[in-house]
Amino acid sequence: MNQFSAKVCILGDFAVGKTSTVERFVNNQFSEKYLTTIGVKIDTKDVSLSGDVTLKLVLWDVAGTDRFSGVEFAYLRGASGYILVADGTRSRTISAVRTLKEQSFDRYGELPSVFLLNKADLTREWEVSDEDQRRLSEEFANVYVTSAKTGDNVTAALGRLGEMIAERDFPKTQ
Amino acid sequence: MNDLEELKTLLFGAEKRALDSITERVQKPETRAADVADVLPEAIRLSHREGGELVETLREPVGECLRDSCRNEPERYADALYPVMGPAIRKSILSALRAFAQQINETIEQSLTPRGIRWRFDAWRAGVPFGEYVVQRTLLYRVEQAYLISRDNGLLIGHVHHQASRIKDSDAVSAMFTAIQDFIKESFSPDRSGRLETADMGEFTLWAVHGPHALLVCVIRGVPPRSLRGDLSAILERIHFRYGDGIRDYSGDTSTMAGVEEELAECLRFEAIQAADEKKRRSFLPLVVVTLLIVALMAWFGYRNWEARQELLTLQDVLEDTPGWYVADVERTGKALTVRGLRDPLAASIEEVASDAGLSTDRLVADLQPFQSLDPEIVYQRTLAALDAPSSASVTYDAGRIVVIGSASQVWIDATEQKVASGAFGMSVELDGVSSIDLEQLRADVAAAREVQFAFTEGTELSDADASALRDHVTKVSSLVSEADRLGATLNVSIIGEADAIGTVELNTDLAARRASLAEQMLIEQGVSAERLSTSLIVDGDLANATNLERRRVSILLEFDSPSPATDADPE
Repeated sequence: MNQFSAKVCILGDFAVGKTSTVERFVNNQFSEKYLTTIGVKIDTKDVSLSGDVTLKLVLWDVAGTDRFSGVEFAYLRGASGYILVADGTRSRTISAVRTLKEQSFDRYGELPSVFLLNKADLTREWEVSDEDQRRLSEEFANVYVTSAKTGDNVTAALGRLGEMIAERDFPKTQ
Repeated sequence: MNDLEELKTLLFGAEKRALDSITERVQKPETRAADVADVLPEAIRLSHREGGELVETLREPVGECLRDSCRNEPERYADALYPVMGPAIRKSILSALRAFAQQINETIEQSLTPRGIRWRFDAWRAGVPFGEYVVQRTLLYRVEQAYLISRDNGLLIGHVHHQASRIKDSDAVSAMFTAIQDFIKESFSPDRSGRLETADMGEFTLWAVHGPHALLVCVIRGVPPRSLRGDLSAILERIHFRYGDGIRDYSGDTSTMAGVEEELAECLRFEAIQAADEKKRRSFLPLVVVTLLIVALMAWFGYRNWEARQELLTLQDVLEDTPGWYVADVERTGKALTVRGLRDPLAASIEEVASDAGLSTDRLVADLQPFQSLDPEIVYQRTLAALDAPSSASVTYDAGRIVVIGSASQVWIDATEQKVASGAFGMSVELDGVSSIDLEQLRADVAAAREVQFAFTEGTELSDADASALRDHVTKVSSLVSEADRLGATLNVSIIGEADAIGTVELNTDLAARRASLAEQMLIEQGVSAERLSTSLIVDGDLANATNLERRRVSILLEFDSPSPATDADPE
């Protein structure tokens, strides 16, 4: 049986919950110390696609930043897609996602991505209104309101990203 | 042909012929097939080079053809695949067996040595199988894992590992290595030209070999030789050559890199700590030692066997050469030497014979029957024993006869002469040189009493002392005469009666005669035969000697008559 794998980078500002969001759903192999030492941590996640096809997402959890510098750009090279993560309780993290996406687009072009508006379990503290969410949905193709605490929508978001990557990179699987 | 047709022929004749020819070729399937066959190889080559459509187009029909053919003619495909499947299966089995055999060999080799025992303890502490621990400790190096990683995206293209290696998520490891390399490159190489080629991690060394589109990362246990990097580079170059576009454009679809793991398996090499020839020498050493021990043991046993055989033969030889022995069999039973045969009681004992031959007497067992040997020496001994010669006689062996010289009792001489006469000794015995001890004694006794005189006071009256002495002497003479008779000799007794000059001659002669008669009568009374007695008288007629009273006496003289054994030896 053929196997498919794809590099996916998780991008977002500090403390938006990038690591926590995917942590419950991935195969952890490396310590989070890598995030602070070399700025990235690798996890993998098998995503089942239609047609009994499994796509292994190699998740590059890039250390939180509101703007890429040299090494982060290197980490993005060869990625098949992005997971953009913002904190609903801090609206400025959405701007950081926007900046990061633009930077990656400028360097590596348009790639499949999903936008996770995280910390859905803290909606009372949110700075993002429904209207803001609607505008985000227009700006970003796939917006998911997720909770790292409850795991809401994380699997769906990863599944959707897998499908988009498969459509783009592995059309014969569709 | 009308004018119009003629005009057409003039104007378009060549084109028409060409068109007809084309029409004819199109309408004839054989011709079309020939034309297509001419261009088909080149068309396929061009199509394949320009894109994957041809492959995609052919995939389904070719696959269907293969399925049908395999289903309908399985034997044909089995025969076709046989040359390929055999080596492939053997290679796979060989690889597994080689790893297994290596592990078993190392385990057995180390299991009973002190180091092996220590390693067993260490393996128990480390929680790893002993066999695996032994392999880890005895390898110079072993390529545990090999990752083929896309340089573009860090995705894992292929991964192989040793069976005993514990691996994590190889995709994650591949990506992490790429990330670390990116981090190092960004952090420490300003122009991004540097690259991570080697990393040491405890007992592991990580080697990265960089190719145009992929890098080969090997996790190596131990210290690899420099030549290994060249070998790994050759493998990576071969992979690039074989997969070309597939490796350049790799985006995560492993189907485009089918078979790459077989290439990577070439990386899983190992080498033991000691070179092969050294291992051979080392492995031969115990064999040589054991062989030498066996040879030494065999030589020792051979020597002992030879020594025992020699001991047996020596004993047999000396016994056979010993007078009075007849050896039927000498046999070694365990440590004992058993001798069966006949032995004359006069012959040397088995212990004496063995001791004289320098052999040990501790383990001798004699199973013997007595017999009379006719060996001259034994006969001599037997005769010697039968002679029972007195110490005063010497016995010698001379030319098959026994010669006895010296003295012996007459009884012994008589008895021995009887035995010689009867042939009881079985050999000649010469007794001529033996004299009788009894006769000699008799001669000595006779010499001591050869002449004894007894004095009379007057007439025929003896002094008391002389009377007593005469009686004793008469008794003695009687016994001497009797002994002489017994010994075959003749002892004569002369009695001389004497008288002094006082008185007449006739009176004195009568007196002398009476004095002699007195002694004669006493001897006869003591049993002396009258035949042995002789009487003579001495009367001194010279008056000048009238006062010589010594003449008033009687003398008794003893004298052997010839022949006498003592005569020859008599100094007189």
